[in-house]
Amino acid sequence: MRLFLWGALALSGVCAIGGWLLFATLNQSAKATSIPPDHPRQLVDFVLTDRTGRTVTRAELAGKILVVDFLFTSCSLTCPAVNRQMAEIQRLTTGQADVRLVSLTVDPRSDTVPVLAEYGQRFGADTNRWLLLTGEKKVLHELIAKSFLAQDADDPFNYMPGNFSHTERIALVDAGGQVQAYFDGLRDDAAQAVVAEIARLKK
Amino acid sequence: MLYIAVLLLAAGCKPRPSGQVTSEPSTRTYAARGVIRQISPDRRTVTIQHEAIPGFMSAMTMDFSVKATNELSRLAPDDEITFQLVVRENDSWVEALRFVAHRIEDVTNGVVLIHVPTAELKTGDLLPDYELMAETGDKVHVTDFRGRVLAFTFFFTRCPLPDYCPRMSKDFAETRQLLLNTPNTPTNWQFLSISFDPETDQPAVLASYANYFREGNPDRWLFASVSTNTLADLALKLDLMVRHEGDGISHNLRTVVLDPQGRIYRQLDGNQWIPEKLAEAMREAARSQPGVNSP
Repeated sequence: MRLFLWGALALSGVCAIGGWLLFATLNQSAKATSIPPDHPRQLVDFVLTDRTGRTVTRAELAGKILVVDFLFTSCSLTCPAVNRQMAEIQRLTTGQADVRLVSLTVDPRSDTVPVLAEYGQRFGADTNRWLLLTGEKKVLHELIAKSFLAQDADDPFNYMPGNFSHTERIALVDAGGQVQAYFDGLRDDAAQAVVAEIARLKK
Repeated sequence: MLYIAVLLLAAGCKPRPSGQVTSEPSTRTYAARGVIRQISPDRRTVTIQHEAIPGFMSAMTMDFSVKATNELSRLAPDDEITFQLVVRENDSWVEALRFVAHRIEDVTNGVVLIHVPTAELKTGDLLPDYELMAETGDKVHVTDFRGRVLAFTFFFTRCPLPDYCPRMSKDFAETRQLLLNTPNTPTNWQFLSISFDPETDQPAVLASYANYFREGNPDRWLFASVSTNTLADLALKLDLMVRHEGDGISHNLRTVVLDPQGRIYRQLDGNQWIPEKLAEAMREAARSQPGVNSP
């Protein structure tokens, strides 16, 4: 029974990796496309702290188009790749006062205010336009789970606070607080796709 | 089915095969999983919405008796649990109730939120026993170090980032030096570096890595590895993040000081702490009286 389960786990793991590689190869050749939300998702209320130590609430972001990503500063490969796309989005939307970038940590015990301050500097985040937020784990995880990501990453070899899946995605929230689309933040052309979608939203 | 298996793994639970016959021939035990809906005030009855129990009953919500009422003391409605259902000829009850996660159904966005904060250990909590594979090739248990203050952290030998694993090992080396060199320091302390890459970090690999950082002096500093199964439970308890990415492992940093009774005395997150702070925490923990720090 146990052997069977382990076999099934191992096999599904191999299939998942193989499938992912195949998918990634096919995917990379086409243009970045937006991924619709799994169900209607609305930005919920929150009280968090940015990397300067300032309190940030949802009210402050009302009426803005938000570009949101999810990070844990201890992540060595995926998060830096996604945040390079965020930096590119920041550059491409320079001067657009109604656009804000928001990075939410899933690992607030590690990602304290000083840790995020350093991380933001590394990616050239503008303190007025790109908010890196930390705070109580409960608040962060509720915000991410309710507004953005499913908590169904059932991978027996990976453990992450919150068990969120698709933390590599960049989410786009319209001025009304509705999640419009997600983009694969690991793609090189993610920034262009996000910026194109922002332009479409503004029409 | 796979999902259940994974959750059971995550709970660090080793379910008995369904319908296994125990000492009494008429007693059957079933491994099951469900969500607590209600706990009676006397803690003798728990209402569980459970999944199908293969070979016994289909998914439903029902009341179960609890023999050891203290099993419910740390659980609450909406907690997802694994448990054993024991069935005899004339009675049945549940036991070995293990917390998996706290579920919140959010009606506005139709989401089931899964929180695991109650699984996270706080100051004063007893660390459960975990079996590790030591650099010597022997099995070692964290409870083997009771009576000593135990400082442990996590790493893997292939870790290339100077700010991560090597930094933890250097900080441990410096802290040990501080304890060894300061007069009137208690001597009942121990360091333990735990690799979460057991496949690569076989005992021989650990031993040679250890010797480099210990500079040939193995005094009160052991290196060991933890199995994937054990790590699943430990990660929940210590808020660990371990994620295989490419050839490497992305992980956060958790350094824990246990008092001589095996309770959490201090947790140092990240890499911003300095060896003086760890040495101070270890000295304080070594001098703390049994019971003084208890919750």
